[in-house]
Amino acid sequence: MLFSQARKREVVNTATATRVARVDGFVVLPGPARVALLRLGKVRGAGTLLAWEDVRGFGPDAVTVATDAVIRPPRDGLEQRAEDNDLEILGKRVLTERGMELGSITDVDFDPETGAVTTLLTKTEVIAGQRMIGLGGYAVVVSA
Amino acid sequence: MTTPTPMLLLRASELTGRPVVTLSGELIAEIKDVVFERSGGRIAGFTLRNPGLFSRSRKDSLPWVGVHGIGRDAVMVSDETVLIAADQLAPRKQARDADVLQDRVLTDNGRDLGRVVDVVLHSGTSLDVVGYEVETSEALGTAGRHVFIPLPDTVAVSGENLIVPAAATEFVSEDLAGFGAAVGAFRARLREGAS
Repeated sequence: MLFSQARKREVVNTATATRVARVDGFVVLPGPARVALLRLGKVRGAGTLLAWEDVRGFGPDAVTVATDAVIRPPRDGLEQRAEDNDLEILGKRVLTERGMELGSITDVDFDPETGAVTTLLTKTEVIAGQRMIGLGGYAVVVSA
Repeated sequence: MTTPTPMLLLRASELTGRPVVTLSGELIAEIKDVVFERSGGRIAGFTLRNPGLFSRSRKDSLPWVGVHGIGRDAVMVSDETVLIAADQLAPRKQARDADVLQDRVLTDNGRDLGRVVDVVLHSGTSLDVVGYEVETSEALGTAGRHVFIPLPDTVAVSGENLIVPAAATEFVSEDLAGFGAAVGAFRARLREGAS
């Protein structure tokens, strides 16, 4: 499933059967490349992050959670940067470990069962998710 | 059949301003200047400045051993721990002595070929000095042209005069694209002569 297709999806609490948030973005971490957190919008409380482990199902029509309590604020510096959008992968430049730029990320393909990132897409390149080494404020770094 | 990888040549001045990026994707500095080893044939490392328009020089530097990869768009390092104090890379005086820009290039039989305007580097497992871009004197035809002159494997870059073998004048290139082959041919000739 592509990030572009999965964005704006509703987050539904299965205990109360109510819509509690909307998916605004994805926080990807390397080693192995995976969706670690979802960034949410239209939330009721203070928190906007949802850890992948706390997602019950990433379905074609909705993302489900067992309770609202799993939607939470950042817990550490890395999650704070994720919430501040500093680590947003979409639009970020891609550099190989040899210092060659491959364009900017236009979309990301992931497995909705496991959260594993399978493919990074730029305008001209299709890059296997396993090649991702790092993701920082400046670039996504991939193996050469 | 495998095709040999082309010689990757670049001018030392092109590296100035290139971002220094960690493998975790963080921008930590920009290259300020190239520092040559005292022996001259290789790069000791780079001085750094902070990224940005009104960037300041920094007290730390990047030794060659800390470089993970050098490409067209960035200099990659594993992380910030590879940086060392700038005076550890090269004492101030030595760094000044090793600056070859504007030095006169003399052949070993005493012809003045011109002045150095840039240093040509070959990027492989190490970053080697393979030639100079020289603003020519009359000895190479028209004065004031820019040409590339190949260097032997080992050469001293300190001092006001840079001595090159007279044979180097036969391998002068007008452009960087053809220069890689010229360096190879010139060095092969020197090796033949030595044996």
